[in-house]
Amino acid sequence: MKRPVPVTDLIEELKRLPGIGQKTAERLSFFIMRGPAERAKKLAQAIRDVQEKIVLCSSCHGITDENPCLICKNPERDSTQICVVEEPHDVYVMENLGEYRGVYHVLMGVISPLDGIGPADLTIEALKERVQQDKVKEVILATNPDMEGESTAVYISKFLKSLNVKVTRIARGLPVGAEIEYADSVTLIKSLEGRTEM
Amino acid sequence: MGLHSAQGIVLRRFNLSEKDKLVTFLTDRYGKIKAVAKSARMAKSRFGAALEPLSVVQLIYFGRENQTLYRLNQAEIDHSFQSLREDPCKIYSAAYFIELTDSLIPEGHPEPQVFRLLKETLETLQNNKFNAILVRLFELRLMAVLGYTPQLTHCLACKKEPEPGWVGFSYNRRGILCQPCTSKLQPGTRFQQGILIYLKKMLTLDLKNSNRLKLPKGMEDEIETVTHRLILSHSGRELKSYPFIKALSGNL
Repeated sequence: MKRPVPVTDLIEELKRLPGIGQKTAERLSFFIMRGPAERAKKLAQAIRDVQEKIVLCSSCHGITDENPCLICKNPERDSTQICVVEEPHDVYVMENLGEYRGVYHVLMGVISPLDGIGPADLTIEALKERVQQDKVKEVILATNPDMEGESTAVYISKFLKSLNVKVTRIARGLPVGAEIEYADSVTLIKSLEGRTEM
Repeated sequence: MGLHSAQGIVLRRFNLSEKDKLVTFLTDRYGKIKAVAKSARMAKSRFGAALEPLSVVQLIYFGRENQTLYRLNQAEIDHSFQSLREDPCKIYSAAYFIELTDSLIPEGHPEPQVFRLLKETLETLQNNKFNAILVRLFELRLMAVLGYTPQLTHCLACKKEPEPGWVGFSYNRRGILCQPCTSKLQPGTRFQQGILIYLKKMLTLDLKNSNRLKLPKGMEDEIETVTHRLILSHSGRELKSYPFIKALSGNL
């Protein structure tokens, strides 16, 4: 027997989400269907709001519901220190640390020749303008330590060389709790290169 | 379920789920294979940096022979080619080499010559100053080891040695046409015999000595057109990393 069309439609839409397969989509659909109408309305409204109200900050290119974003317009944040990240969600990973008091710049991707993404597809020019306009003292490159992230960091450091700004790279090496015995050679070399005095 | 061990070069890797990665390797013994690396996305993953593209690694993976997807058990780094990642010219070229290899090699066919060529080319790129001629050499040599060596000594049609002056070149038939035969068979391009001499040299030159090959000015563009169109006639599509190489040659 076929399911009612609205249930099938909901399952099909949920299946489009990352990590959701047929069984999970069915479970979620029946959970939504059986729950109170108010909860389903709130879920629908939240999805609609994310689409309609979220924009990119004109300054840092992070996601926000007001432009410029709360971080960029906060006078207590140090606007002379910019942390460069790959994607908007990386901002929140860094913010959750509660340690960083500067501002951010989202590249909206990384240079990836294998995917045909070049410097012109990213917000690198906008970063250069910010560095010039805001008299930035330090740019922290917090791209992922993978092939694309590394080459993007190298490109940006060369790109900003003429602007007389300090460019730093987040440390790479052993994760806390890891064992040296099981670390690979590249990670160990990086951890030796980035050692600190105690 | 067999356990396989081989040396491999990482060609590509994709995130498969929240924790796993799908990695494409070119191995010395089994050709191109794809394997799932469980929990490779986690910060404390045992694979570490071993699954980054360009890395040469010792692999242990399991699965039935000739299946399409294996399970990766272990990957230890032999060479990481880390310094390539710190030079835009070199990383763009290296990306082109692995994309080209990935696009032309079918899965599951042993290709030891291609493996050696790619590894040697990456080593040459790492140990020498960047030289665009290495890209041309790789294109031509890859075609040669895949069995598509262009015929550069005799005319494809009449089998005679070409007379002095210009020669025609057919990309589809992969070889030269002498002047009289170009009236019968339409060549893809024409060039002077000087180009032919360099193309022949490029087919036999030791890759490690690629920096010694100096092309006369103006000849670089013509040779690039020949080798790249030869690749295109076989692959049938432009690779995503090729515009990066083109932009480099514009800036050099």
